[in-house]
This record gives sequence, structure tokens and C-alpha cells, in this order.
Amino acid sequence: MTRYLRLIRIFTGATISAQLEYRANFIGAVLSSLGQVGVALLAIGVLFGQGSDTVGGWTFREALLVTGFFILTEGFIAVFIQPSMSRIADAIRTGSMDFTLLKPVDAQFSVSTRYLNVLRVPDILIGLGLIVYAASALTTTLGGVLIAAVLYASALTIVYCIWLALSTTAFWFVKTQNVAELFNGIFGAGRFPVTAFPLPVRFALTFIVPIALITTVPAQAMTGRLSPALAMASPLVAAGLFAVTRLFWLRAVGSYTSASS
Amino acid sequence: MSMLRKTRVLFATRFAEMAEYRAEVIIWMLSGTISLVMMLVWMAQAASAPGGQINGYDGSEFATYFLSVWLVGQLLVVWVGWELDFMIRQGTLSPKLLRPMDPMWVEYAAHVAERFVRIGPMLVLLAIFAFLSGASFTREWWAYPVTLGLCILGFTVRFLYEYALGLLAFWTESSTAFSEVAWLLYAALGGLFAPLTFYPQWVQNIAVWTPFPYMLGLPAQLLAGKATLAQAGHGALILFGWVVLFWFVRLAIWRLGLKKYGAVGA
Repeated sequence: MTRYLRLIRIFTGATISAQLEYRANFIGAVLSSLGQVGVALLAIGVLFGQGSDTVGGWTFREALLVTGFFILTEGFIAVFIQPSMSRIADAIRTGSMDFTLLKPVDAQFSVSTRYLNVLRVPDILIGLGLIVYAASALTTTLGGVLIAAVLYASALTIVYCIWLALSTTAFWFVKTQNVAELFNGIFGAGRFPVTAFPLPVRFALTFIVPIALITTVPAQAMTGRLSPALAMASPLVAAGLFAVTRLFWLRAVGSYTSASS
Repeated sequence: MSMLRKTRVLFATRFAEMAEYRAEVIIWMLSGTISLVMMLVWMAQAASAPGGQINGYDGSEFATYFLSVWLVGQLLVVWVGWELDFMIRQGTLSPKLLRPMDPMWVEYAAHVAERFVRIGPMLVLLAIFAFLSGASFTREWWAYPVTLGLCILGFTVRFLYEYALGLLAFWTESSTAFSEVAWLLYAALGGLFAPLTFYPQWVQNIAVWTPFPYMLGLPAQLLAGKATLAQAGHGALILFGWVVLFWFVRLAIWRLGLKKYGAVGA
């Protein structure tokens, strides 16, 4: 366990120092973080600007909470998930995956933690800021916040599992960057509370692609409107997905025959 | 004559290339879902509003507007910024400079050829979405060629400014971030989240000075039967002005960039 923690520290140090070499990138990254939050606020502002007090039964501040979780999750993906995952396909194509598999460290751990994109940390801060701002006008209890934190941890596990599963398909298809695009497209629905959608879509977003569990459910926990069934569902789905992706990953590695053969 | 032949060969080779990417083209198409997300939210919102409509739009009108936006958005897709960023950083631009033709035309042809790969599955999806959501497009025949014309102008504007932004890779590593910011402006001011008349007045006042509402919102409104021929003509003139402006901006950045590129010994 301590070995894995030490590895995370080394990986993080290496990737941060590599990134700080490109200082001009920072300006671009900050610009696009600010643009992203501006657009998210505009989308929700326009929706509430038409004279209606609620969208899908959510007030403006409550819906803002969902947008906060959405931006936070996008930041989490951009900082922790995408940089490592998008390199899996490259490693398979060029054959450098061989080295990862030969090392006496769990390969799933190495491919998942190797790279970071520190330039997108502002997204995480903006998301957190938005959550705090939205919650400050709502009545939240300590218990609600703690449950929200646990449920959000499950949500991040779900996001990680979906990404890993999609990236693992690279062992067979080689090119998978586009699959990430597809996930981003569907995940865009997470910027609004799931009740803002028509019923059949709401069903699909909860049970087929669990987007609702990622942004709406933690927000519901904070505002104390969460049904116990959904509260239970999120950790269960996360645990189930984790087990399934783990098996999928092991199978993929088992069938891997290096780039040259 | 030789010009015609060049154009034909250029287009035929880019088309063959893009046809190879047809699976990706479909995935790219499906990933442009934000207008569909907005459509669903607005439709649900209209359904729960008193009178079943918001700002004069009922559910089916929202469906028509956002599906039109989706269609127009598909025709305006441009990725040349990423392409240039890659070519400049990896140096694959160098051999292209030896050709007796500005590399811009190769990229332009690739984008146009991709539209022909895209259009088939796009119309199928559009028909399915329209059937499911109850959208109904205008019955005025003239709206369709006029929309196509606006889309061609809008695409050219977008291609030129994305190209100019991509060329910034000669100086900075963050040119793709600038492209992202440009996309955000395009999405916000073009009308991807709501028809422009829904926006606060001050945002509308800014938007009319940019090309974005005429690229995206106006052609979509034409398809939805909510814009007039005069508005289309006005929009086309403005877009043409932006084409001319960005043409020279692009050219200036290209010349300066090449000097810088040559100076570092590529």
C-alpha cells in the first residue's frame, strides 16, 4: 500500500514538472476554464430567465448546485482521468504497454495514475466554489453534506469505471479517442437536474447511462430530498461497475499480444 | 483548366480519405449532442408551463428549432485548428510547404468532402429525431437553398477564424485552448442553448456584432419557418463581410508565422 502511495507521489511530481515547462499553456487553460463556467451559467441563466421559478421542480439555486457538480466532475475528468486514459490507446499502438505490464505493479493502477493535467485544476476550484455558493442560500444539514460526499465519491468511481472500460476497448480496436468524445456528448446532459428531462429520457439517464447518479443525486443529498432507494443505488452501481471493469481489464490484458505480433 | 483539375483531384483524394473515417464521422456526429440536450430540457419546460409554451414557443417549435440548430451545427463543424496545432508542432507542415499551393486548400477540401460523408447518416438521424420529437420544418421551398447558402458562408467564416487561431501554434503551445474559447463563444452567441431572443438584452446587443448568430441561429430559424428572406439577406451580407475580414487576418498571420517557422530552422 505504501509503495502505491509513493508511486502516486512520484508520478505526480514527474507529470507536474513536465507540464510547468509550457507556461503559455496556462493562460489558454485559464481562459477555457472561465469560458466553460461562463457558458454553463449562461445555459442555466437563460433557462430560468423566462419567468419560471423552477425547472423540473428545482429552484435556481438548487439547479446551480447540479451545475456545480457538473463542472467539478468535468474538472476531475480533465485533471485525473482523461490524461492517463487517452494514453492507453497510444501505449498499445506503439508497444510501450509491454513495459507497463512487465513492471511488478498492478497494471491497471499504473495506467490510471500515470498522468495528470494540472492546468485544469481551476475547473475543480470553480466547481467547488459554485457548489458552496449555491449551498449557502439553501438549508443544508451536516448529515446531508456527508451523505453527498459519500455519494459523490461513488459518482467519481462510476465516471472512472466508464472511462476505463471505454479506454480498455483499445486492446481490440486500437483507436478509441472518439469514444471519449461520445462520453462527453452524453455527459453534457448532467449539467441539468435529471427531472428537467422528459420521462423516457430521465429513465435512460438514470438506469442505462447513469448520468443522474453523477450530478443530480449528490445535489439531492445536499438539499435533503434524496429517496433512500437512490441513496443506496449509487454505491451499489459504483461497486458493481468497478468489479465488472476490473474483470474486463484483466481479460483485455490477458488477450494482449504486444504491438509486433 | 489546370485550376479545375487541381480542385477535382484535391476533392477526390480528400473524399476517399474521409470515407475511410466513416465510423469516426458518425461518432463525431453523435457527440455534438448539446443542442439535443437543450431541446429535451426546453420541451419538458414548455410542457409544464401554463399554456404549454414559453416566449411563443411550444414543445414542437422547440423541437424544430433545436433540431435545425443541430443540423446546421453539423454542417459547420471545423477541426482545422487541431490539425494545424499538430502539423506545426510535429513539423509535418514542412513538406506541405513545398507544394505549389497554400496548404489551406487541402484542409478546406477535406472539410467539404467530410460533409458529403456526413450528410447521409445525418439526414437519417434527423428524420428519426423529428419523428420522435414532433418537429415540423418549414414548407417554403426557398428556405432550403437560402439556408444552404448561409451555411456555406457560415462554414467559411468559421473555417477561416479557426485556421487563424490554429496558426497561433507558431508562437504559443495553447492554440487549441483558443479554439476552445472560440467554440464557447460560438455556442453561447450562436443560439445553441436557446433561440437568441431568449437571451438577456445586453447579450443580444453584443451578439449582433459577432458573426455567430448569423452562422447558427439564423439558418436554424429559416428552417423552422421563423425568419424572413430579408433577414437572411441581411445575415448573408454580414457573413460575407466577416469572410473578407478573416481572409485577410488569416493571410497576415500565415505570412508572419511562416517567417517565424523558417527562422527556427524548420
